[in-house]
Amino acid sequence: MKRSTDRILTTHVGSLPRPPELLEAVAALNAQDGTPSEEAQQTYERVLRDSVANLVRRQAAAGVDVISDGELGKASWATYILDRVSGFEIRRDRIQPLVWLGRDRERFPEFFAKEMPNALTGAPTEVCVAPIEYRGAAAMQRDIDNFKVVLQEVRVEEAFLPVVAPASTAYNGINEFYGSEQEYVYAIADALKHEYRAILDAGLLVQVDDAVLANMYDHLVQTSPEHYRKWAQLRVDALNHALEGLPEDRIRYHICFGSWHVPHVADAPLEEMIELILQVRAGAYSIEAANPRHEHEWRVWETAKLRPGQILIPGVITHHITTVEHPRLIADRIVRFAKLVGRENVIAGTDCGFAQSQGTQRVHPSVMWAKFEALAEGARIATRELWG
Amino acid sequence: MRRSTGRILTTHAGSLPRPASLEDAVEQPGADPAALGPLLSASVAEVVRRQAEAGVDVVNDGELGKSGWTSYLSERLVGFEPQPILPGQTMLAAGQDRAAFRDFYDEATRQGQLWYRPDSRLRTPAPPTRWVCTGPVTYIGQAALRRDIENFKAALAGQDVTEAFMPVAAPASVEPGRINEHYPSDEAYVYAIADALKVEYETIVEAGFVLQIDDAWITALWDRMLPAVDVEAYSRYCLLRIEALNHALSRIPEDRVRYHICWGSWHGPHSTDIPLKDIVHLMLRVKAGAYVIEAANVRHEHEYHLWETVTLPEGKLLIPGVVSHATNVLEHPELVAERIGRFAERVGRENVLAGTDCGLGGRVHPQLVWAKLEALAEGARLASTRLWSTPNA
Repeated sequence: MKRSTDRILTTHVGSLPRPPELLEAVAALNAQDGTPSEEAQQTYERVLRDSVANLVRRQAAAGVDVISDGELGKASWATYILDRVSGFEIRRDRIQPLVWLGRDRERFPEFFAKEMPNALTGAPTEVCVAPIEYRGAAAMQRDIDNFKVVLQEVRVEEAFLPVVAPASTAYNGINEFYGSEQEYVYAIADALKHEYRAILDAGLLVQVDDAVLANMYDHLVQTSPEHYRKWAQLRVDALNHALEGLPEDRIRYHICFGSWHVPHVADAPLEEMIELILQVRAGAYSIEAANPRHEHEWRVWETAKLRPGQILIPGVITHHITTVEHPRLIADRIVRFAKLVGRENVIAGTDCGFAQSQGTQRVHPSVMWAKFEALAEGARIATRELWG
Repeated sequence: MRRSTGRILTTHAGSLPRPASLEDAVEQPGADPAALGPLLSASVAEVVRRQAEAGVDVVNDGELGKSGWTSYLSERLVGFEPQPILPGQTMLAAGQDRAAFRDFYDEATRQGQLWYRPDSRLRTPAPPTRWVCTGPVTYIGQAALRRDIENFKAALAGQDVTEAFMPVAAPASVEPGRINEHYPSDEAYVYAIADALKVEYETIVEAGFVLQIDDAWITALWDRMLPAVDVEAYSRYCLLRIEALNHALSRIPEDRVRYHICWGSWHGPHSTDIPLKDIVHLMLRVKAGAYVIEAANVRHEHEYHLWETVTLPEGKLLIPGVVSHATNVLEHPELVAERIGRFAERVGRENVLAGTDCGLGGRVHPQLVWAKLEALAEGARLASTRLWSTPNA
């Protein structure tokens, strides 16, 4: 993995807003009752390829050094995997409470009723009813090919593809098939390993996205801190099982606290998570640090230590706020981390993705690009200060 | 004015959410203003009580008696006549930020997200009006002002708070959107506005309250005048208005006045906000004992560094925003404490009050307004513990 050897590199978390023409092509696919016409399928494939190409060029132009395909080939950052593995069925008549939102639902009921009503009603359950096997090789290869073909024409430092972690797979799900929770979680991990390996084989960096590992904290600690710890440890172990034998230096691990524009009082404190995070066999950790619920957590790195060679990718711009970060603020944030973990061990990143699913956008795309440009400018200012 | 002797005091920038019952009554077409009276006084009592409960030390009336932070003056000043204009011609719907992010502004306006609408209802549409000054500007708002003062005084009775303030608009922020066709010069016009506002300023101070002068336009006009203006020309424009404000404040002790500037509270990119360093000399020229400034949002947070080179005059207070209306995410009290600490280190702990970027009312959901004020108080407690556990440097 490239590091900030003589300047601060920039990156982001992965998902980017889908252009309108791609959303239209997706709608046309879905309109055909599960069996889209060949024409709709071909249109989708073409629009997807063109959209990835445009997005890659745009990231390079904005000054992002380590770029992604925007996750354009996926329905959402986590649920896409349910189309790529066997074993799950959706039960629309069985509604799961959104426990991963934690107790903010109780603290701010009027707010949620207005701004995120489904937080109070729940979501259909994803039920594991058969063996989990990976079936997504073709879709994965398409995403890799779409990305690689345009990477040849842009000048960037490196490229990554985000994938989901075991803990974040089927997060509204239950297991009715496997005999134990451990068997279930490891079956997910074994399936995911196919994705991780395919990306690495293609010469790209893997980013493992694991928001749900943190999101479950507030719900599970109500039973006891040990309860959460046990739940999370199983999933971190399963992830490490999936990553076994893969080059640590080619893997980034992303933790965030949920991208929804809500109060986030329920968020796990990073200090409660850090030991778990550092167990993950990854060369870099991408963590939220630019929003007012987590900005103060830079202090965690006064005591937490990266292992030699590891990289920290703190968020220095956020998807939570429409106001564009001033480059000076971004530089201040980068320098703060560089002083704690070493300038060559910091890559300037974002809190979370900017479009966790098709049709979602956390800020308007024009604002997002302005934020990326501010990120690059902030990194240049920090570079001048850190390298003199 | 009370300062942070022994602990960091908390306050905020002014507007607070109207209680739902008042909101409903105000929004009823053809509502009888007289019937609003008891509801208004009960609502002021409620927001004062809630501020005290949230841990706010220096409280206000939430500006509940006003239609908006400057629009209320249309009801309290004479000398202006309404003229119809197209919505696109307003000062608000212009500027370089809007030009650079046109798609964003169009979408946010369409979706009602530029300004938060907690109940999803559009406010009673304001008539597409601009005001033209066609005669002497005179203040006629005494009765409304007296009502606001009396409501506030009654609400304060029995509440354990440190001090109380009332916000009013500055001449520079009343002028935009009001065209002068009566006075022979800009100067004469601005001073006429200042003289009219003086009545309001002096009445508030005589009532025993701290006077807060709101002057968002003195900063936000920069974006509207770009690219035709440079810092020097802009300073000249502002200086005349600030001298007029000082004229209106001439009989009021500096120590009873706080001066609030922000860069506009709409949820936009704010990419063209004028840097504080370019206007700080103008701000400090205002005859006020305290300066209430945005410092908690991502466009202005870095500006605390300015106080490494700029000296806050002896005896004055700085009230930086340490929580912001710009995001739903609740500031962590540790972050609030860190922000307070940065200012305390630079201007002295006793010279810092912890505030908000701008008014929170109508910018985030009411539940979040109160949660943010609680986070503010909690952060101030953390900062106080740290700042008073060591001898002041």
